[in-house]
Amino acid sequence: MEHIYREIHRDPRFHELERKRGRLSWLLASIVVGNIMWYVFATAFYPEASFARFWGEPIGEGMATTWGIVIGLIQTVLFIVLVNYYIYRANGEFDDLKDAIVADATRTAGDGK
Amino acid sequence: MHQPLMSSRRILTAGSLLWTGSATAAGDAAPINVVAIGMFLLFALVTLGITWWAARRTRSAHDFYAAGGGITGFQNGLAIAGDYMSAASFLGIAGLVYTSGFDGLIYSIGFLVGWPLIMFLLAERLRNLGRYTFADAVSFRLQAGPVRSLSACGTLVVVVFYLIAQMVGAGKLIEVLFGLDYSIAVVVVGVLMIIYVSFGGMLATTWVQLIKAVLLLTGASVMAIAVLALVGFSFEALIARAVERHPLGARILAPGPLVADPVSAVSLGLALMFGTAGLPHILMRFFTVPDAREARRSVFYATSFVAYFYLLIFIIGLGAVIVLTGETRYTDAATGLLRGGTNMAAIHLAQAVGGDIFLGFISAVAFATILAVVSGLTLSGASALSHDLYASVLRRGDANPQEELRVSRMATIVLGALAIVLGIQFEAQNVAYMVGLAFAIAASVNFPILFLSMYWRGLTTRGAALGGFMGLVTAVTLMVLGPTVWVDVLKHAAPVFPYKHPALFSISVAFVSIWLFSITDRGPRAQAERAAFRDQYIRAQTGLGAAGASRH
Repeated sequence: MEHIYREIHRDPRFHELERKRGRLSWLLASIVVGNIMWYVFATAFYPEASFARFWGEPIGEGMATTWGIVIGLIQTVLFIVLVNYYIYRANGEFDDLKDAIVADATRTAGDGK
Repeated sequence: MHQPLMSSRRILTAGSLLWTGSATAAGDAAPINVVAIGMFLLFALVTLGITWWAARRTRSAHDFYAAGGGITGFQNGLAIAGDYMSAASFLGIAGLVYTSGFDGLIYSIGFLVGWPLIMFLLAERLRNLGRYTFADAVSFRLQAGPVRSLSACGTLVVVVFYLIAQMVGAGKLIEVLFGLDYSIAVVVVGVLMIIYVSFGGMLATTWVQLIKAVLLLTGASVMAIAVLALVGFSFEALIARAVERHPLGARILAPGPLVADPVSAVSLGLALMFGTAGLPHILMRFFTVPDAREARRSVFYATSFVAYFYLLIFIIGLGAVIVLTGETRYTDAATGLLRGGTNMAAIHLAQAVGGDIFLGFISAVAFATILAVVSGLTLSGASALSHDLYASVLRRGDANPQEELRVSRMATIVLGALAIVLGIQFEAQNVAYMVGLAFAIAASVNFPILFLSMYWRGLTTRGAALGGFMGLVTAVTLMVLGPTVWVDVLKHAAPVFPYKHPALFSISVAFVSIWLFSITDRGPRAQAERAAFRDQYIRAQTGLGAAGASRH
């Protein structure tokens, strides 16, 4: 197995794969962490802080639903959308690239023996 | 009266809402609920049948720990969601929405947020590196002895605290819903769980969880639809009616004093995110699927089901406000509080919208839920004992698989018996802090070593073992000295440590000491461990060399 790993490490496409996938993972993870921290902070500072005050206000004239509830529901949907986007990239594009890298490395390593 | 209920601890101690609340119900002796018991017996019969089927397919250690790796992404996602949809979150969050509206929503989002992170950072690497337990991934290039011992400690501590909270809650809930004696309830839960896990292993545990998840989602959907039908299927009308009926009025639509200060806010956020990512019984499920691809799909389904479930709970909680407020059948005429405690909101609502039959169904589902969750916990604890401690540390990896399988079955029986004994011992104790403690430990021990082993080349055995241990000690010490245990349980006047959530501090201690003990580690073994990172990294990224599904 080790010589295959060595081949993979030599393949520039592997480094492209790790860079791309790493960038996407960290980007999406920071969106999620940023969101929840903002959410918890707004809760901690409600109603004093100005960035949180509108949470208790209705979304429209004469309506009961508040911004806080709408934002909460949007967060939930956002998490699902992000997870879905990641799986779309990872199980499609990234996995295809990975399969190609592994197949080539296995062949090369096999030839070298 | 409502304000103290919304203390910041609530959000962390998923179980506490349920477990402390229903304790107050002892006053009115519950009648034996025949419909509920009948439906539960049916569930027990079906799941025992499945266990019999699963037992005939559980021949190897790989079958026992990982269901042969043959679970699909969809099934695993539903099972993971099932592990997370405990009776505590079903009844507890519905109760929280009933008493304080918006705060229940914050609670749900807090519990959901760990999932996307597991997806982006852990799932595929974990699947590619591990085999049965998360300690497999950690000890991939580190020395098995110290690292597995620590991981097993982390797992067992989390599992035992979680189990106690679940068992005590189970006993009290079943006492109220079924009219059965507390100790009988605890013994029934314990014995069924031992049968499922020891005979059927992961395959039975997964199917019990699947069936329960479907039943729970069905029951909750029916209730939510019944509630929406009352308000003409308009979300705005649902909220408007709830505001109209609730004694706090429009205040239920804005954040209450759930988190008091910024330190608690950050600490809480960290515990929820990283605690979820360090729960051993959840991490273990990633090894039941054939590859990283299916592991990703499981997280997608799990996230979606959990999100859908929390949405239902929010609707159910608001529905309870509309239907139950001021009804003397369900609330006390003098105080206005729910009969049997806040956590009975969903249960009373079931009776109000669906009569005795539906009440029986929901009660049986709640029982099934507890059973499925404790089974998953026990299996995870048993794996730490047999796979990590016995086979890898004690026998240094040369235990034969049949021996390991026998040890894991024995470990299941021991853990199950321990859960029964502790469940009965802790009947009269306040166990509210235990789930919070389990999350804090998972976030401060399991998560840091797992995360750094996969992402940081410089990690060495010494760093992981000493740093993880420091995280464990810090989390437990601060929790004991903090308001939840020092004041609420031990009855001291003031806490030594002022914050309810130790996670910010204990996670920092863990990361800093892992870093410090690793970079100062210059021995030849440490050099070899760093050099081995490259191959580990390539396997984590590609899955080449990872354990696949066994062919049956």
